[in-house]
Amino acid sequence: MNNSDKNNTNTNGGVEIFSTEKALLLDHNYDGIRELDHVLPRWWVWLLYATIVFSVWYSGYYMLGSGPTPEQELAEEMTRIEALKPPTNAGGLPEAASLVSALGDTSRANHGREVYLGKCVACHGDHGQGTIGPNLTDEFWIHGGAPTDVARIVAVGVPEKGMPPWGPLLSPDELTDLVVFIDSIKGSNPAGAKAAQGEKYDAKN
Amino acid sequence: MSQVQQSQETFSYDDDIVKKFTLATLVWGGVAFLVGILAALQLAAWQLNFDLSWLTFGRLRPLHTNAAIFAFGGNAIFAGIYYSTQRLCKARLFNDTLSKIHFWGWQLIIVAAAITLPLGLSQSKEYAELEWPIDIAITVVWVIFAVNFFGTLARRRERHLYVALWFYISTIITVAVLHVVNSIEIPVSWFQSYPVYAGVQDALVQWWYGHNAVAFFLTTPFLGLMYYFLPKAANRPVYSYRLSIVHFWSLVFIYIWAGPHHLLYTALPNWAQTLGMVFSIMLWAPSWGGMINGLLTLRGSWDKVRTEPVLKFMVVAITFYGMATFEGPLLSIKSVSAIGHYTDWIIAHVHGGTLGWNGFLTFGMIYYLIPKLYRTELYSKRLANMHFWIGTVGILMYLIAMYTSGFTQSMMLRAIDAETGKLVYPDFVETVVRIIPLYWARAVGGILYLAGFLIMCWNVYKTCQAAPKKQPVEVFRAPAMPAEEVGGHWHRRLEGWMPTFSVLAFLAILVGSAIEILPTLVAHTYTPVTAGVAPYTALELAGRDIYVREGCYNCHSQMIRTLPEDVLRYGKPSLAEESMYDRPFQWGSKRTGPDLARVGGKYPDLWHYRHMLDPRSVTPNSIMPSYPWLFDAKTNFDGLNRKFAVMKSLGVPYTDDEVANASKAARDQALTIANGLRGDSPVKNLEDREIIAMIAYMQRLGAKR
Repeated sequence: MNNSDKNNTNTNGGVEIFSTEKALLLDHNYDGIRELDHVLPRWWVWLLYATIVFSVWYSGYYMLGSGPTPEQELAEEMTRIEALKPPTNAGGLPEAASLVSALGDTSRANHGREVYLGKCVACHGDHGQGTIGPNLTDEFWIHGGAPTDVARIVAVGVPEKGMPPWGPLLSPDELTDLVVFIDSIKGSNPAGAKAAQGEKYDAKN
Repeated sequence: MSQVQQSQETFSYDDDIVKKFTLATLVWGGVAFLVGILAALQLAAWQLNFDLSWLTFGRLRPLHTNAAIFAFGGNAIFAGIYYSTQRLCKARLFNDTLSKIHFWGWQLIIVAAAITLPLGLSQSKEYAELEWPIDIAITVVWVIFAVNFFGTLARRRERHLYVALWFYISTIITVAVLHVVNSIEIPVSWFQSYPVYAGVQDALVQWWYGHNAVAFFLTTPFLGLMYYFLPKAANRPVYSYRLSIVHFWSLVFIYIWAGPHHLLYTALPNWAQTLGMVFSIMLWAPSWGGMINGLLTLRGSWDKVRTEPVLKFMVVAITFYGMATFEGPLLSIKSVSAIGHYTDWIIAHVHGGTLGWNGFLTFGMIYYLIPKLYRTELYSKRLANMHFWIGTVGILMYLIAMYTSGFTQSMMLRAIDAETGKLVYPDFVETVVRIIPLYWARAVGGILYLAGFLIMCWNVYKTCQAAPKKQPVEVFRAPAMPAEEVGGHWHRRLEGWMPTFSVLAFLAILVGSAIEILPTLVAHTYTPVTAGVAPYTALELAGRDIYVREGCYNCHSQMIRTLPEDVLRYGKPSLAEESMYDRPFQWGSKRTGPDLARVGGKYPDLWHYRHMLDPRSVTPNSIMPSYPWLFDAKTNFDGLNRKFAVMKSLGVPYTDDEVANASKAARDQALTIANGLRGDSPVKNLEDREIIAMIAYMQRLGAKR
C-alpha cells in the first residue's frame, strides 16, 4: 500500500483513479501523491471576481468618493436618537408639583425600589443606609433634602464626589418613582446606618 | 526502468523526531484544553478564580491561547512538516542535531510560557504576550527550524516542490517576519519591556500580527498538512493542481492585509479600516480554494469516509475550515462587525476554526501517523469513532452556546428604546447575567472535546504498546535530484527553483504589510502633541503596568467605537491621541465587562477600592474575580525612574527632572489617594499598596488634563 515510499518506479502509486480522470492526471508523483488538473470551478472563479469588483467599488466609494466616514454616520445616528428623547423641562427633571403630589404612592415607591436596586445599591446600600455614598434614610442632606433637590442630584450627579449623573439613563417617570421610594424609606433607621452628613432638613420649612 | 539507468542513493528518514513532536502535541493538547475548560468555568462561576493571582481568568486566558496555538498547534505542525517534508523531498532532515535543538528548545519555550504567564509576566499583546527573553528564544528556535527545513529542501531528490511545501515555506518565512516586527520592544528589566509602538500604531502592528498568526500558524501550515495527509489517507489524486497554484498565491498575498478588520469603528484611520475589510472579503474565494481541493479530492471515496476515522476527522476539519473562512469575511463587513466584535460571536468563530479545523485535522493526522510510525495497526477504530462523535458533539455544543451568547448579549447591548432614545439595558451586568447559562453549556462542550481527546491518547498508548519491539531502520533508494527540464509551464519550472519560490512567497506578504504599516509608523501625525493628552504620572504608569499584568484587557476594552450604542453607554468615541502614550495599547478584543476608556472620574476612589476587593459588593451579580493581593503587594516605586527613562527614550515628553523624581512623585500621589481612603480601610501603610496605583490609573482613564 505504501510501496511508493520504497521506490520511485510506481507510476500511479496505487492511487485510485476513475477512467474519466485519466486525461486529467498529471505526471506529478510526490511520495505517491498524484495530481489531477481539473479546471477551476466556474462558480469559484466568479466568486473571486465578484469580491474583487465589490472591493474596488467599496474602496473607491469610501476612500476616494463621497462615502460617509464612520464619524459622519455616527453624528447622523446620534442626531436621530437625540430627537427621540422626549422634550422635558430642566433636562429631564420632573416638575416640582407633580413630584410632591406623587409622594406616598406605594406603587410608585415599589417601582422606584426596582430602579434603586439597579442603580443605587452599589454606593448607598441595600436599605439606603449609606456605604460609599451617604445615608439616605436620615434627616441630614448634603445637597438639600427637598424632593426637587433629591431629583436634581440624582439627575445631574456630583461628579467630583463620584455620584454619576443618572439623568441620561432615567426617564422623568423613573426619576419620580425613585424620589418617591427614597422618601418612603425616610426614618427607617436600617442596620449599619452611616453617620449623618450635611445639613438637617425639615420638610415643614 | 529508471533504477537501471540512474545510480541510486540510499537514505533513511528521521522518524524519531516526528514521534517526539507527536507525543508533545498530545501532552500540550491536554494542558491547553484543561486550561481552556477552567477559564470557561471561571466565566460561569467567578468563585473558580479562587482569589489566587496566578489562577485568575486574566492570567489563564493567555496561557490557554498560547498553549493551544503554539504548544498544541505548534508541535502538531512540526510533527507533520518533518514527516511529510522528508518524504516529499526523498531526503532525511538536514541535520539531526538541529532537529533535537528545535524540539527541546520549543518545549523549553512552552514551559517558560507556562510559568511566566500565570505569574503575570505579560506584554498583553494577544498571542504575543511572552516577555522579551522568551521572544528572543522563539526567534532563535524558529531560525533553527528554518535552517533545518530549507536545508532539507536543498538536499531533496525530487526536482519539484509539492504544494504542501509551498505552504510550509510561506509559513516559515511569514511567521518569522510577524514575530520579529511585532516583538520590537525595549526591556525595562529581565521580566518587563515596553513596545516601541504606541497606541494606534501598536494596535495596527499587533493585529497585523494577531490576524496573521491565525493565517500563517493556524491556516497555511495546516493546509500544507491537509495537502499531504488527505490524499495519502484517501489514496486519491489531488483534485486540481491549477487550483492549488491560484489559491496558494492569492491566499498568501491577500491574507496579510486583513488585520485591520479587528479594529473596525475604532480610532484606527479610516483608510486602514477599509483596506482591512475589503481584503478580508477578497479572501473568501482563496480560502475556499483549499476547501474545494480538500473535499473534491475525496470525490468517489465517500464510502471510505464512512469507515476510516482518519478521513472522518479530516472531512469535518475541512468543513469547519470552510465555515470559518466564510464567517471571517462576513464578520469583516463593518456593519456585521458592529454586532459581532467584542462579543462571544468572535469566541465561537475562532473555536470553530481551532477546535474544528486545527484540532480535528491534527487528530486525523495523528491517527494516520501513529500506526505508520510504529509499524502496526491502530489499536481500536471503534474508540477512534467514539472520539470523533464525542468531539463533534462537543464542538457543536460549544459553538451553539457561544453564537447564542454573542448574539443575545449584542442585541441587548445595542437595544435603544425607539421612543426615548435611551439604552434598554443601560447596566452592562444585566446582559452578563442573561448569558451565564450559556457559559455553562460552553464548558460542557469543552469537557466533551477533552473527553474525546483523552480517548485518543489511550488509543495511541495502546497502539504503541502493541507495536513490534524491533523496528529496524527502513532504508530507501532514489536517484539524485534530476536536472531541470527544459520548457514547460512557468509555474512548473518555478516549483523546481526553491530559492526563487521562497523569495516570491516573501515578496507576496511584504506588499500588504508595507502598504498598511509603513504610513502609520512613518507619519506620527495621528498623534498631535497639542492634543492636550498628558503623559502618565509615575503612579499611573505603575498602576497601568499592574493592569497589564493582571490581564484586564482580556475582559475590558478601552476603545469606544463610533457606534451609537457605545457612545450612549460609555461616552464620546475614543480618539487616536488618547492612547498616544499607551505602550502597549489596551484597546482589547472582548468585552466580558464594560469598556473602561472613560471610566476615570465616573466613580469615587472608594468605589474602586471596594470593587477590586469584592466586585459584588458594589455591582451585584458581577462575574469579575476579586483582587485581594493588590491590597497586600507593595507598589514597586523604586523601579519607576527606570521605567520613565525608557519611556522618555521612546519619545514620551518627560523632562529629566521628572525622570529623576518619578519614584518620589509616585509616593506623593499615592499618599494623597491613600489619605482619602484611610477612614474606610483597615490596611496599614495603604499608600504603599498596589491598589492605590491601580486606582490612580483607573481614575486617569479618559480624563484630559
